[in-house]
Amino acid sequence: MIYSMARARQAGDVDEDLQLRKFHKELSSGTVSLVLLAVLGQSRQPMYGYQIAKRLEQVGEGVLAGKQSALYPVLRNLEVAGLLASEVEPSVSGPPRRYYRITRPGREALRAWTHAWNATRDSVDKVLQGEL
Amino acid sequence: MGTPRTINEYLDQLRAALRGADPALVQDALYDAEEHLRAELYERPGRDEASMLEQVVESYGAPDEVAEIYRDQEIRIQRAIRPPPPPPRRSLVGRFFGVATDLHTWGALFYILLGSATGIAYFTLAVGGIALSAGLSVLIIGLPFIVLFIGSVRGLSLLEGRIVEALLGVRMPRRPPYPQRGVPLLARIGAMFTDPRTWTTLFYMVLMLPLGIAYFIVTAVLLAVALSLLGLPVAMLFGHDWLQGLYVDRTILLDWGSGPHVPGWGEVLAMFLLGAVLLFATLHLVRGIGRLHGAMAKHLLVRGATRSAS
Repeated sequence: MIYSMARARQAGDVDEDLQLRKFHKELSSGTVSLVLLAVLGQSRQPMYGYQIAKRLEQVGEGVLAGKQSALYPVLRNLEVAGLLASEVEPSVSGPPRRYYRITRPGREALRAWTHAWNATRDSVDKVLQGEL
Repeated sequence: MGTPRTINEYLDQLRAALRGADPALVQDALYDAEEHLRAELYERPGRDEASMLEQVVESYGAPDEVAEIYRDQEIRIQRAIRPPPPPPRRSLVGRFFGVATDLHTWGALFYILLGSATGIAYFTLAVGGIALSAGLSVLIIGLPFIVLFIGSVRGLSLLEGRIVEALLGVRMPRRPPYPQRGVPLLARIGAMFTDPRTWTTLFYMVLMLPLGIAYFIVTAVLLAVALSLLGLPVAMLFGHDWLQGLYVDRTILLDWGSGPHVPGWGEVLAMFLLGAVLLFATLHLVRGIGRLHGAMAKHLLVRGATRSAS
């Protein structure tokens, strides 16, 4: 009896973990694009993928704490959409790097997305705090 | 699958984990991973590859986690960025005329127009490059020339891939194969020759000349016939004096093989309808050519996911 209850709790934990991971995934799908645009929008020089990953690592916690490999396809797709531009810089000492910078449409998108994010965050906060 | 000890091992595991995925996606994923791993190794000198990789599996993700992320991203972002597909049409008539609302039809049409020009350029470059490489190989400048030539072929392969993806809607790589490092120059040059993709790309470039011309001629002739049939009522409508060059002896003559005669309005309207049907049939053909060519380009320009890179 005790044994089966312990097992049930364990199964519940796994389930909860899975739900959380799924939620993380869904949450990150939009925010990662916004964050990447913002990082490149604030940076004076073009940045390469590894550099961006390390900068986000400093922010820590939350959605961005996921695996860094998730950043690269998003960068590439933002480029395809014309919001970022990139060029490869071969170097003698280090490996070749692809430098990204934000484009004019990218800045416009960043402004609009920031607005949408702020509005969403405010209303989500209100709901969570029970001000409805 | 154990923890990878070298970057190449990591990439091999990633390739294995992505088995069965779109080859273009595999090439992109491998490029990204290699760029990140090399950067990590470079930023922290004095650490050996194995312990660096141990940490990277935590931050960047283990090969199978990375593979899962890429598969996921691909589905989600493709959906977000691509134009929405045209609404599916049930009826036969709707499907026949619906071809005009499919963006890929117009992309393919543009690709065919462009293809006759790029076909000539690719063919010239490939044949000229091969001939010059063979001729110069007895001289000292032969080797650098060959390397330059093969390099430009690879660059063009990526460019053609971008054109094919933009116009034909076939997923193609967005990154070139990662340049090899830490390998002596001669071995790197040797790898260019043993890479089957170099040869299939050259084959593609040579093939583009006859194909580009054939696509262009077939499309141009069919479109010209369809458009002239569509214009027939206009020619009838306007007086015989206005468009003098169109008429034989100031009248329109039709010939069905039983001698020329002056057509009546009913006949002209029938021709108009025939022209409309022909126009849409041509658009179907154009879209079909686009699909076929896209599949062929992918086959010849992108290295298969199952083959090893070494």
